[in-house]
Amino acid sequence: MSADLRVAGRTTAGPQRASRTRRAWRTVWRSPLAGRLTFPIVCLIVWLLAIKVVTTIWPFAVDVLPTPWQVFGFMFDEIMGKTVAPHNMYETFAISLQRLGIGMVIALIIGTIIGIAMGLSKAVNAFFNDWVVAILAMPNLAWALFCSLAFGFGDIGPTIVVVLTGVPFVIINVREGVRNTPTDLFDMARAFGVPRQRVIRQVLIPSLLPFLFAAARYSFALGWKGLVVAEVFGGQDGAGWTIKFWYDAHRAYGVVGYALLFVIFALVFEKLMFDQLSKRLFKWRPAIDAADVVEARFDAQTKAAPQPPTAPSAPDHPRSNDHG
Amino acid sequence: MAEITVQNLHKDFGLGADKVVALENVNLSISGKAFVSVVGASGCGKSTLLNILSGIETPTSGNVSITQEGRPAHAGYVFQAARLLPWRTVMDNMLFVQQDRSKETRERCQHYLEMVQLGDRGDKFPGQLSGGMQQRVGIARAFSTEPDVLFMDEPFSHLDAITARTLRKELNTIWAETGTTVVFVTHDVGEAVELSNRILVFAKGGRLADDIDVTLPFPRDVADTKVAVTKAEVFKTFEDIGALAIS
Repeated sequence: MSADLRVAGRTTAGPQRASRTRRAWRTVWRSPLAGRLTFPIVCLIVWLLAIKVVTTIWPFAVDVLPTPWQVFGFMFDEIMGKTVAPHNMYETFAISLQRLGIGMVIALIIGTIIGIAMGLSKAVNAFFNDWVVAILAMPNLAWALFCSLAFGFGDIGPTIVVVLTGVPFVIINVREGVRNTPTDLFDMARAFGVPRQRVIRQVLIPSLLPFLFAAARYSFALGWKGLVVAEVFGGQDGAGWTIKFWYDAHRAYGVVGYALLFVIFALVFEKLMFDQLSKRLFKWRPAIDAADVVEARFDAQTKAAPQPPTAPSAPDHPRSNDHG
Repeated sequence: MAEITVQNLHKDFGLGADKVVALENVNLSISGKAFVSVVGASGCGKSTLLNILSGIETPTSGNVSITQEGRPAHAGYVFQAARLLPWRTVMDNMLFVQQDRSKETRERCQHYLEMVQLGDRGDKFPGQLSGGMQQRVGIARAFSTEPDVLFMDEPFSHLDAITARTLRKELNTIWAETGTTVVFVTHDVGEAVELSNRILVFAKGGRLADDIDVTLPFPRDVADTKVAVTKAEVFKTFEDIGALAIS
C-alpha cells in the first residue's frame, strides 16, 4: 500500500529533479523514528534552559538542580552495578518486580471472580459498583500510608497496595468482557451440539482475553506507581525506598536518575512482555497498527493522488440484499 | 435423510400486553432428500421456526421431533452471518464443531473446504477472508459434520448478488451429492424457487399459509422461462393468501 502511494505521489509531483534532496529530507523528517529521536533532544534543551533560568532568578538552586551530565553519570554507574545504596539497581528492581508480580496475580484472580459475578448478576453488580468506584478514586498515597501503618515495613504493605490499585481495573474490564460475550457464537455452538468444556475453552475464554489483557496492562502501569509510593513509606528496600534513600542523602541527581531508570525499566518491561504477548495472543486481529492505516489514508487524501489501478477491492464484501 | 415432524407448534414472545405471537398452530412433516424453503415477509416467524427446530429456542407449546431411522437426528446450521470464531483459523473453526480431531475428521473438513473452493485457506483467520468466503466456510462447516438435517437461515442475504448466485450453485451441487435434508429460510422467492423442491409459505402472525411442491429439474437457471413462471406462480399464491400484506 505505502509503495503504491509513493509511486502515485511521484507522478503528481511532476519533473522537479532539484527538490530530490528536499524530498529525501522530508521523508526522514516525517518518519516516526525521527519523531521519536527528536523528543529526548527537545527534553534535554528544555532541561538545560530551565536550569539556566532558575539559577539566574535564584542562585542557590545551583547546588540542588542536577545537570543532565550528573544524572546520566549516576545512571551509568547504577547500570554498571556501582552504587552506595544497600542494593544495586538489578537487585532493587527484582525486589520491586516480585512484589508487583504477586500483587498483580492476586488482583487478576480477585478481579476476575468479582468481575464475572458482576457481569452475570445485576444484584452483585449493584452490591460492588460503588465500592469499585470508591477504590478507584482512592489516592495511592492513602493506601500506602494505611498499609505501612497496618502491616509495618516489609513486603506485605506494598503488595497490598498493588492489589488495591489493580483490582478495580480488572473488575471493570472483566465485567465489560462478560457483558460483551458473543451470544451468537454460543448459539452456534449449541446448534452444533459442541460440548460445554470446549465452548468455555474456545469461545468464552478467548472472548474475555482482550479485556483481561487490557486490565493487566493497566494494573501493571498503575500498580508500579502505587508500589513506588508504598515502598517510600512502608518498604525497607525496592525502587521506591531507594529513591527515598537518595532523597535523604540530598542527592537530587540520584532522585531524578533513579526515577528515570525506573521509567526506562517499566518501558522495556512493557515492550518485552506485553507487546510480545499481545502479538502472540491477538494475531487473529486483522489490523493491529490501526494508527498507521489512518495516517496512510489521510496522506492519500491530502495528496489527492490518482488511485492506482491495482488497488485492492473486495468484491465479496456484503453490500446488497437483492439478487437476480 | 431425516424425518421432521412438527405438531401444533406455538411460540409466543413476551407477556401480557407485550405478547407477540411468533408461530401459531404449525403442523408439518418433512422427510427424505428434501430441500424445503420457508418463505414469508419479515417477522412472520420463519427464523423462530428454524431456531426451534435446531434447539436454540424452546416452543411455548407443541411437539417437534427430528429423527433419523428412529434415533435423534444430527443437525447442522448455517447462519445469516458466518458466525466463525475470529480467534481460530478456518481449519480450527471446522474442527470446533466436530466430534473428534482424528485424521479422518481433518481430511473430511479439508474435503468440504475444497468443495467451497477454500482448500488453500485452512490456515487463515476469518478476518483475513472476505464476507463471501467466510460464509462459504460457514457452509463447509455445516456440511462437514455430515448432518442428517441442515438448517439454513437466510445464508446469502448479507452477500452481494454475484457472490450469492455462485454460492447458490455450489450449495445446489453439494446438496445433490450429499442428499441431506435441508430446511432453508429466505425472504427471497427467486432463491426459494431456484433451490428447493418444496416451498412453505408463512403469513403474518406465524401461520403456515401454503405448501407448494416445485418439480422442475435441477440445476435450475434463473433465466429459464419455467423457473420464471414458477416464481410468478409462487408470488401469485402469496398475493392470494395475503402473505405479502404489510401491516
